[in-house]
Amino acid sequence: MGLEGGRVTLADAANLHTFVDAAHFIANNTGFLATKALEQLALSGAALGIALAVALPLGVLLGHFHRGSTIAIGASIVGRGLPSLVLIAAFLTVLGIGFVNNMVALAVLGSGPLLTNSYDGVERVDRDAVEAARGMGMTGWQVLRGVELPLAIPLIFTGIRVAAVTIVATAPIAAIAGGGGLGDIIVNQASYRLSGVLGASICVMLLSALVFVALTGVQIAVTPRGVRRTSVVGEPQRREL
Amino acid sequence: MIRKHRSRAAKAAFAISLGVAIVIGLFAAVFARPANSAGTTVIIGTKNFPEEFILGQLYKQALQAKGFTVSYKENIGSTELIQTSLTSGKINFYPEYTGVIVQVVFHKTSSGKTALATWQLAKKLEAAKGYTVLNRTPFYDTDVVAVTNATAKKYGLKSIADLKKVGSFKFGGFPECKTRNTCFVGYTKQYGITNATFTPLAGISAYAALDNGSILAADVFSTDPPLGKGSKYTVLADPKHVTGFQNVAPIVKTSVVTSLGSKFTTTVNAVSAKLTQNAIVAMNKAVIVDKQSAASVASAFLKANGLK
Amino acid sequence: MSLLIGDTVIPSFGKGSSCVTGDHTFCWDWVREHWGDTLGPALWQHIELTAIAVVIGFAIAFPLALLAHRFRKLEQPFGIFSALLYTIPSLALFQFLVPFTGLTVTTVEIALVAYTLVILFPNIAQGLNSAPPDVLEAARGMGLTRLQTLTRVELPLAVPAIVGGLRIAVVSTVAIATIAAFLLPKGLGYPIFLALKEPTPFKTEIYSAGALAVALAIGCDGLLVGLRRVLVPWVSKGVA
Repeated sequence: MGLEGGRVTLADAANLHTFVDAAHFIANNTGFLATKALEQLALSGAALGIALAVALPLGVLLGHFHRGSTIAIGASIVGRGLPSLVLIAAFLTVLGIGFVNNMVALAVLGSGPLLTNSYDGVERVDRDAVEAARGMGMTGWQVLRGVELPLAIPLIFTGIRVAAVTIVATAPIAAIAGGGGLGDIIVNQASYRLSGVLGASICVMLLSALVFVALTGVQIAVTPRGVRRTSVVGEPQRREL
Repeated sequence: MIRKHRSRAAKAAFAISLGVAIVIGLFAAVFARPANSAGTTVIIGTKNFPEEFILGQLYKQALQAKGFTVSYKENIGSTELIQTSLTSGKINFYPEYTGVIVQVVFHKTSSGKTALATWQLAKKLEAAKGYTVLNRTPFYDTDVVAVTNATAKKYGLKSIADLKKVGSFKFGGFPECKTRNTCFVGYTKQYGITNATFTPLAGISAYAALDNGSILAADVFSTDPPLGKGSKYTVLADPKHVTGFQNVAPIVKTSVVTSLGSKFTTTVNAVSAKLTQNAIVAMNKAVIVDKQSAASVASAFLKANGLK
Repeated sequence: MSLLIGDTVIPSFGKGSSCVTGDHTFCWDWVREHWGDTLGPALWQHIELTAIAVVIGFAIAFPLALLAHRFRKLEQPFGIFSALLYTIPSLALFQFLVPFTGLTVTTVEIALVAYTLVILFPNIAQGLNSAPPDVLEAARGMGLTRLQTLTRVELPLAVPAIVGGLRIAVVSTVAIATIAAFLLPKGLGYPIFLALKEPTPFKTEIYSAGALAVALAIGCDGLLVGLRRVLVPWVSKGVA
């Protein structure tokens, strides 16, 4: 395919036909792609889980006590600035090749936006509301549970969504370090041709979109009705740095 | 006063960004300008592994020492990709393996019966397409199948055919190996191996994958340092010579050869003649194990042999 | 010491230090030795790739934002486009462009500029919109024309947001540019890809190239903060 009598035709010519080929690839390889997609979801899910377990509580607590703003804001810069390739390579040298090193690297990547947004969400809650709650005799913990967290949900979920989409969309690179998933196809143009690479990339995009929608759904379910009237999407990370 | 501050700030911002843009634009222009070619430029490309980097540097530096204009594109990719670069004119010279030319580029099921025959066949096939295959090196570097010593012991593996004894297993190799007669296709067809699944290795080394157990057997290269003395790996015998004869010979666009004349071919052939098995193994070791750069290793070799 | 085999002379290439052959965690001697031929050029190429992308991205985003400021309709569809772009794995975007523009710097730059654009445009647009309405009214009251309002009021007020956008853009681009090495032997990603391919991944190369990439990102970020302090010193330091 593409190699005719010794003369290699220019990979796959750039035209709409490539997209048609990609569609064919997806249609002909659904089982394979589904397995790979699940592999990728597993890796991403594990990474997100770690990030949620570590960065979310940390951000919430920092925001609650109004401390560590530099760390929280710095986390998002670091999160953007840490090249995923560097993270994956560095953890590979320490944790070997396979699932674990990629999971940790992706978890670190996702922690940035999570930390910043959960910090922001809690820190920015209307001080008056918090004061009123304290005035009513609520303890710090009760204020956090009953007032700050519910009001912070839009921003926290924005953070979770950004983290999740970032992790899912970055996971393909983990393929060079044994991470598996759809990335195995994307880094392997030699085996799967451009149609395969495009097909797998489209699948990654669909996967990210699915994750986005699913998380928005969870957010709507979890948001108390009173808070729901305000914006669901929350402020994106465009605050003045 | 405040107004002056603000407008000054705006002007400063504009001036600075304009200045930066101009500086960077100049920068880019300087770097983007193609090397001026007084006469034909030799554009050397290499495939995507260290031995090829060394070969590329050897030919590049030797030609430059003799006054030729050389442009260098390292790490283009494997055979299929670099062939595209060659035929589309992006490069006009690259070091290829004679058996690969016959069996991969031209899809013959087997290369010649001897190293000489293989080279002659490659020469003939490429000449018909407008490319000249220059002299071949003394050394050869074939694909070989390797397993860890522990695996060899466990299943009693001595030759590739013995892999039939293993249950279903994963076979790792560079992606293109899957479809090549000199590689996975050859191994499975010629030795009747039906229980192997091919795992393409895009980023990590086959040795790393063998070590961590994600594959049982791998396609590697006979001049790799890990296969040297006291190796942790066992190379399985290939009595049917599936991997063919693989000396290196540069493929050059014929029009370039004609326009640059005999000085060009003499220079290149002189380098090739010096590349013995021991030489290439030593250079591979210097680059892969001792982490020297391919450029400095090539330079040292050329100087020691009076080619630079 | 050299070995004579028939005609060929095999010189000694200098043994790798015991640190390197012993696969220790970090070998300073390797870094010193190979700064000139590996790390330095890679760093330089990386700066080049990033600079071109950010400058071109800014050159496109700025007038676009000015346009959007004038005709408000553009902002919404752009938000969707940018969210979409970020779900595309950068590697896939690079590979997709290759049949169009080949294995060249152009391919890489097109992708990098795209990512930069989607960061800069909303930030500049938001900055331009950040002038408080009463300030705008006061300006109009003082008789400033639309252009004067833009240059003397809205632009200066937009500088923090613009610089903020530039910060994010530069830092992101430095990170994404490491992946460009998958296509081209340029930038700080290249030593990392090569080091990963070794039979035992070469730690020092990975750590040093990685550290340089991170340092580059942080350094540029710091430079831009400094730039903002010079341009708009009245913005409170409390805003990071």
